[in-house]
Order: sequence, then C-alpha cells, then structure tokens
Amino acid sequence: MAHNAGVSAPTFELEAWSSNYTPPLHPLRLAHVAGNCPPLAQQALQIAITSTKNGKDVALYTRLVGLAKKLGFNELAELDTEWVDRTEDANKRESSRLEQELKGYKNNLIRESIRMGQEDLATHMLLTGGPAPLPASENEPPQSAQTVGLNAAYSAFGKMRDYCTTPTHVASMTLRLLLTAFVQAVSAQQTGSAATGHFNAVLANSNRLRSVGVKDEELAKLQPISASANGIAFLGTGNYRDAAESFLSVSFDLTTNGPIHNFDFTRAVASANDIAIYGGLTALATLTREDLSRRVLGGPFRAFLELEPHMRKAISLFTTAKYRACLDTLQRYYSDWNLDVFLGGPAGHTHGRTHVDALLAHIRQKSITSHVASYSQITLSSLAATFPPPPTSQATTPEAALEEEITTLIQTAALPFRLDLVSGTLVAPASDARAKTHADASAAADEVERTLLLRLHRVNVALAGLEVQPEKRQGGGVPGVPEGWRGSRGVAQG
Amino acid sequence: MADPLGTMLAFPPDKVKSLSPTQYDTKLHSYLASLEKLPPSVWTKSVDNKSLLELLDPAVNSIAYLKSLVNNVEAVGNKDRARLEELYDQTSIFFASFDPVQVRFVGNLWHMLWDWAIKCSSHFGLIDLSVLSTALLRLDPSSATFTTLHLSLVQQSLALGTPTQALPILDKNIFAYPQTLSKSVPAETVSDEHELSNAFITSESGFSEKVVPEHVLEYYLLGAHVYIGTRNYQRARLFLEHVILFPTQQHCTSTLQVEAFKKWILIGLLSEGKSFPYPRTVDAVVWKNIKSVAKAYDALADSFEKRDWQKYQAEMDVGAQIWADDGNTRLVAEAGHALVKYRVSDLQKTYAVLPVSRVAAHLGLSPEETLSTLTQMMSQESLNATLTQGATPEEGILQFHQPSLTATAPQSDLEAQTKRIETLIAAVRDADRRLQLTKEHVAVSKRNKSAAAPDAELADQMDLTWDAPGTSNGPNVGEDDEDIMS
Repeated sequence: MAHNAGVSAPTFELEAWSSNYTPPLHPLRLAHVAGNCPPLAQQALQIAITSTKNGKDVALYTRLVGLAKKLGFNELAELDTEWVDRTEDANKRESSRLEQELKGYKNNLIRESIRMGQEDLATHMLLTGGPAPLPASENEPPQSAQTVGLNAAYSAFGKMRDYCTTPTHVASMTLRLLLTAFVQAVSAQQTGSAATGHFNAVLANSNRLRSVGVKDEELAKLQPISASANGIAFLGTGNYRDAAESFLSVSFDLTTNGPIHNFDFTRAVASANDIAIYGGLTALATLTREDLSRRVLGGPFRAFLELEPHMRKAISLFTTAKYRACLDTLQRYYSDWNLDVFLGGPAGHTHGRTHVDALLAHIRQKSITSHVASYSQITLSSLAATFPPPPTSQATTPEAALEEEITTLIQTAALPFRLDLVSGTLVAPASDARAKTHADASAAADEVERTLLLRLHRVNVALAGLEVQPEKRQGGGVPGVPEGWRGSRGVAQG
Repeated sequence: MADPLGTMLAFPPDKVKSLSPTQYDTKLHSYLASLEKLPPSVWTKSVDNKSLLELLDPAVNSIAYLKSLVNNVEAVGNKDRARLEELYDQTSIFFASFDPVQVRFVGNLWHMLWDWAIKCSSHFGLIDLSVLSTALLRLDPSSATFTTLHLSLVQQSLALGTPTQALPILDKNIFAYPQTLSKSVPAETVSDEHELSNAFITSESGFSEKVVPEHVLEYYLLGAHVYIGTRNYQRARLFLEHVILFPTQQHCTSTLQVEAFKKWILIGLLSEGKSFPYPRTVDAVVWKNIKSVAKAYDALADSFEKRDWQKYQAEMDVGAQIWADDGNTRLVAEAGHALVKYRVSDLQKTYAVLPVSRVAAHLGLSPEETLSTLTQMMSQESLNATLTQGATPEEGILQFHQPSLTATAPQSDLEAQTKRIETLIAAVRDADRRLQLTKEHVAVSKRNKSAAAPDAELADQMDLTWDAPGTSNGPNVGEDDEDIMS
C-alpha cells in the first residue's frame, strides 16, 4: 500500500457507502479503506473479496487475499485455489473465443461488428485485469508493458477508434477509455507506482469527450462527466487550483442524467456527494473569500453542497472569518475523506501524505494569513490558541510549532509580517507607499538608464565597425593590449 | 617672413567671434600654411631675450604655443631635469588654458604633447594626473568620443596605483568612436559647434591612434576595475556589461569578455546578494561560450544564492588556484564576507526581534563570533539594528529596525536622472539614425524589401533549387514508391 497511516473510524456506514459504487473501482475503493482504516479493514476486505469472487479478476483477488494476510485476517487470507484455477481457465477460454470472433469479423470487413468485437474483448480485459505477464524467459525479448494488465485493456479500447463510424461511437469509446484510465490510476496508487501518467490520460480523454461532435442533447450529458473527470485528474496530480475550477463548472444535471452508453459516472467513478467534497475542499484551499461566497456558495455548485451540509457549513464559516470553527469542522471529517480513493491518494513525495493533508494544510495556511491580516500586532500565544497545531506536529509547545509554521509562511512571502521572538509577537510591517513608489521609480529609472547606455554602446560599436573579429592570423601583436592578453581574439569561437 | 612672431600672432584675427565657421576654417588653414613656411629653428629661438613660450598666450595663440612647446620638447631630450620640469609646467598651463577650437586643427601636435606629458608623469613619478584629464576634458567637455588617450590615461592611473585619477574621464559616458569619414560626404566644418565630438575627433584628426576593438574592451574592463576599487558597483556593472555585450562577428568570444563575466558574477553577489539578471540582448552563443569557460564562478554564485556558507567556503578553498590565476582571490574572499552579511540581512525579512542565540543557530557560528560579526556589521552601517547586551553573548537581543524609508532620493536627483535619460534617448535615436545611413544597412534593407515583395511574378517565388527526380537520386525514389505500394 502507498501509505500505512491508520485513521480512525469514519462517520459513515461502510456497507451503505460501498453500495453506492460499482466495479471495477468498487473493490479498489474497499481495498483503500482496508489499507488505511484498521477498525473497518476486516469488514471492507470481506465485502471486497466477496464481490471480487463474483467477478473475473484473478489478479485483484490474489492481491486482496495477500492484503488480508498482511493485516492478519486469517479467515480471509485463504486463497480459494479452486476458484482461481476455474476462473483463470474460463478467462483464457473467453479471451481466445473473443479473439477468434474478432478475427472473423475482421475477415468479413464489417466495421460495426469489428467495433463491437473489439469492445467486447477490451471490456473482458478490463474486468479480468488484462492478460498476466508471461514468466520471463531468457530467449524472448522482454514483454512490452503495453501488452500486460490494464494497459492492454486501455490499448484495446483505443483500437476501437478505427472502426467508429459516428460521433456517438467515439463518445462511447472515450468513456470506456476514461474509466480504464481511472482504474489504472487507482491501481497504480495502490501498488505504489506513479499515477500521474494515468491521470493525464484521464485528462486527455475527458477533454476529448467535449469535442467528439455529438448532438447537443448528448453533449449536455457528457459535459458534466468531462468536467468531473478533469477535476479528479487535477486533484490526483496535485493541481488543486484547476481542480477547483473544474469541479465548480460541473452541472448538477450529472446526478439526474443517469447512465449514458451504459456508463454511469456517479456509480462507477465518483458520486455526487464525492464531487461536492472534492469541489468544496479544493475551492476552500485555493479560492479567495470573495470567490468562495460568490461562486461557490452563491453559484450553481451550491446544489452539490446541499448534499454534504457539513462541507457547506465549513465554507460559510470560512467566508464569515470563523476560521477556528471551520478547521474544526473539517478535521471532524478528516478520516472520511482520507478513506476516499482519490482524496486519500498520495500527494507529493512525502511518505504517507495524502491530498487531504495537503488540502487541509493549504486551508490552514489561508486561514492563518487571513486571520493575521486584520491585526497590526498579534501574540503567538493567542494565535496558537486560535489555531492549535495539528496533532502530527513534533514540536514541544504549541507556540514553537506555530512559530515554525509562521516562519515558513513568511519565507514563502505568503505572510507579510515579521516575527518578534523575544516578546513572541507577529508585527505588521510599517508601509510607506510614497517612499516605496519613490524607490521603485528610482530603481526603474536606473534600469532604463543602464539599458539605454548599453544599447547606445552597441549601436556605436557597430557604427564604428569595431566588432570583435574571429581570429585570422597567429601571433600578430595587438597594439595597446598587454602581453598576457595577446590571445584575446576569438578564443572560443562558437 | 620678416617677423616670425608677427606670423605667429596673425591668428586669431580681431573680431574672431564674428567669423562664420566656414570663414574660420579657411582663415585657420591659411594660417597653418603660413606657419609651415617658417623655418623650424624659429620655434626654439628666443625673441628679445624672451622665449616664445613667454611671449605667446596659450589661451589665445594656442596653435603657435603648442607648436613651439612641441619643438622645445623634442629638442630637450631626457637629461636636463630642470628644463624638463619647466617644460612640464608650461605644458600644464597650456593644457589648462588652450583654445579648444584652435587645437582641433592640429590634433597630431596635441596628441604628441599629451603623450609626452603622460611619459613625463611616469618619469617624474607624479601621481596627479589631473593635468591630463583636464586636457582631455578641455578639448572635449563631453568626453564622449573614445580615443586611445582614454585608455592610456586609465592604464597610467592604474600603473601608478591611483585609480581615482581616471575617474573624471571614466565618469563620462562614451557616445561615439572616431569615424572614418566617407569621401562622398562633404567634410563638416571643424570649428563649428557639434552635437557629438566625433565630428572633429575623427580617424584623421590625429587625436587618437587607430581604435581597435581591444582598445575599447580593455578600456571598459580596466574602468570596471577602477569602479570595483572605489566600490561603485553600479557603474562597474555597466562597464562590465559593456564588455560582455560587445558585439562580435560570427559569435566569436574574446577572453576579455570572459574576464568581465567573472567579475560581473562576483560584483552581483557583492552588491545585490545574487547574480545580476542575464542581460537580455546578449548573443546566446557568446553567452554559452563564456559560461562554459567560467563554470567555477557559476558554482560559486549558486552556493551564494542558496546562502550555503559551508559550500561557498569549500568552493573558495577548492578553487583557490583559479581565483588566483584570474586575479580574483580578493573579490571572492570579499564576497564570502558579504555572504555572512546577507545571511543576517535575510533574517530581518522574517524576524523583527530575536535573541543572538537564534542568530548564531541560523549562521552556524558560535554566539561569540556572531556577536562580533553583528557588531562589525552595525558599525559599518550595513545592518540597521540595535543590539542589547545580555549577561552572556547568547542572551543578547538583536532588534532589526524597519528598513529606513526616509532615505529616498530627493526630488532633484530624480529630475536630474530624468534629464539624463532624455539626453540618452536622443543620443540613441541619433545613433540609430546614423546606423540607418550606413551602406550595410541600406544594402540589407534593400534585400529584405525585395524578398518580402509578394507582388512579384509567382514563378519568381517558386523554389527553384529542387532537384528533378532521375537526375541524381532518381532510382532510389522509384524504389521507395514501390515499397509503399506493396
């Protein structure tokens, strides 16, 4: 697993929650819960393994059982070898059958049949987790990563493109690619490899979704999906600002549109409640107070926030400058969010740091700067009382922890204050706008004068034909140049 | 030719002020011709027991005085010290009072005398070069035309160890170089008032030897040395950038440019705590060439900008031989001291008041060393702060003051600067205009114009360099085609 930091039990009911989602992401979400939340791990694995056994993904099943073994749930850790063999066998038969069929379609040159055959094969790969890597042998060249696992499913879906005859076909294929990329991204996160590439694939496909050229009514259904997928991809790559913008542009029709091309985004990838949380958190972390009240609370996104009233409350607390209450509210749902497969994904290179941590840290920083901005002088102790340091901090006293935090804030120029360590206060800088403008003007004038002189020099040299010439002759003394500098002509000709 | 003295005094005539520049030129040329006819001996002879130099007024009869002085100088040789000193005094008087318009016609003589004077000053070991700089400024108050004399003066002042002596000249900006006048353009009247002094300081006027790029490069580099010595980093930077941005042909790079670059990096660290931003107009290839031979300095700047004192020290020790070879050891060491200061000043961005123990922790020094560094910085006024002593060095308290905002430049300074910039803009425009009148520019713009004309015959625009298939590599092309089809 990417991170082992155990979080306390969430506020939701696991069973009810998990019934919101469908495979193939469903077992992955449960695996994420199991890996991060000890109190729920057993239950989560139970559901995940049961549902996986209803499916065909042997590799995933083995992985889940391995996880159960690692966490010490012995009754779950027993590999049902009979099921594995049977399913593997069935899978192999099924894929060769589908491949045969596809070959037949290709011989008949009927595009629509080929497209559907290709889609069946790709869907099969997605549900079975793709062909397993062949055991490495010395004679054969190493297998290309493209033909193994989910990558194979992704490229198989991509092969449909050549046989698509209408924009609707393209849209359908793009949705499949989108889902596959999501599954790839989540699997990559869970197996500890880099997910950025897959999130970029999500981004590429969701952008393509907008320009496939379908009719307006179909496009109206695709657009919310595209915006949400964009948001999640930006979130996954740590680009919170763009993520917030994407989520805010999601239309609430997403919840009522229902499945399109057999693909129900709200069940397969992220529910409307999830979108509300993602959007709310990223907006809170990146937008200004004015934007928050105008665009988030007062805009169309409010419909989403109604689904998650605590999120809405947190945002309105922030906009009314009740930072402490806002942070407390957020902290209460910390574990819920960390158990979400996208929000709980690793952020940056720091081990165990999730997007929730990063977002909360952003919000905390923003709160501190906005809070301090209204004072000309404020003691660290009163600040520490308003913003108690996060429990993970290693410093001995709250003031010391806060001082460290404030120092970084000042050094990154987020907070235009200075620290008085002796009396323990933060001091606002005395600003003298006139003097500053004066100094700026003077500096600008100096720069202009210097630039003009340089330019004049250049023109004059050119005018007098005094450019340095590449060296032509050897040993020719140059008048006026001292002995040591005689080789000053063209030493390093480019 | 009865009275040589009469001939000598014939110029300037009465009412010289009423003469038009053209008349002045004609008169002066005939005067010069009449002087040529005088036998050489008259210049050193005395008249009525008085030497010519006593009879002539250097401010009025400048040409005759100068001629006589040069002849005397040539006659005297090196032995007679008393006579030499006497002549040097007279030269000083001449250089302080000559008529700047008259001497424009006798640049060769003037140049000879100036050369002699500079030799004299090193002969006597005089460290006061003001005679020479005054002479240059009297001839051309703007000192805007570069001559080899500029370079000699700077060289001499550095050789004598009195770089400040060159400042009167260095402080003036160079606006032009002596030009070779085109034959097709009618020569301007020399005695007229000119916007730029290179109207009379030309390659033929004799005031300067032939200027080559190395002269200019060396002048600016040595000038930068002088400014570095006087801690005028702003001007030093300008001079070094003059060298670095010196136009070159075919991207070749001069060693002097590399020298300048090294100094430029160090000056940036000293004066601003980081390298100066890269000049935008630099030739990218030249820049790459320079950087590739000055990597050590880049490394130095890198650790400086990261405020990594240990690494800087290590770089300093490892590269000791490099700095010594480049003659930059002391600058590098000075930048090292500056690094400590910058580390302290960086603290005041974050802190208003803090105990010395914390300063010491940030600097990685012992509290005692920190205390002495702080005291030293405050006494040099490089740190605006108060230090309250405690019982032990650690308990001392350092309080940074707000950056002083009252020390802004007075209005008049800004006005003067605005004026300077306006003059500069005019000068740049003028130079641009002159550049547009050169043959090369005309040729290039003609070519550009004909290339850009879209109205020409379509056939003319077609690329005629295409090789017909079957001429050189025809068979191959055919094979490729087949491959595609199969």
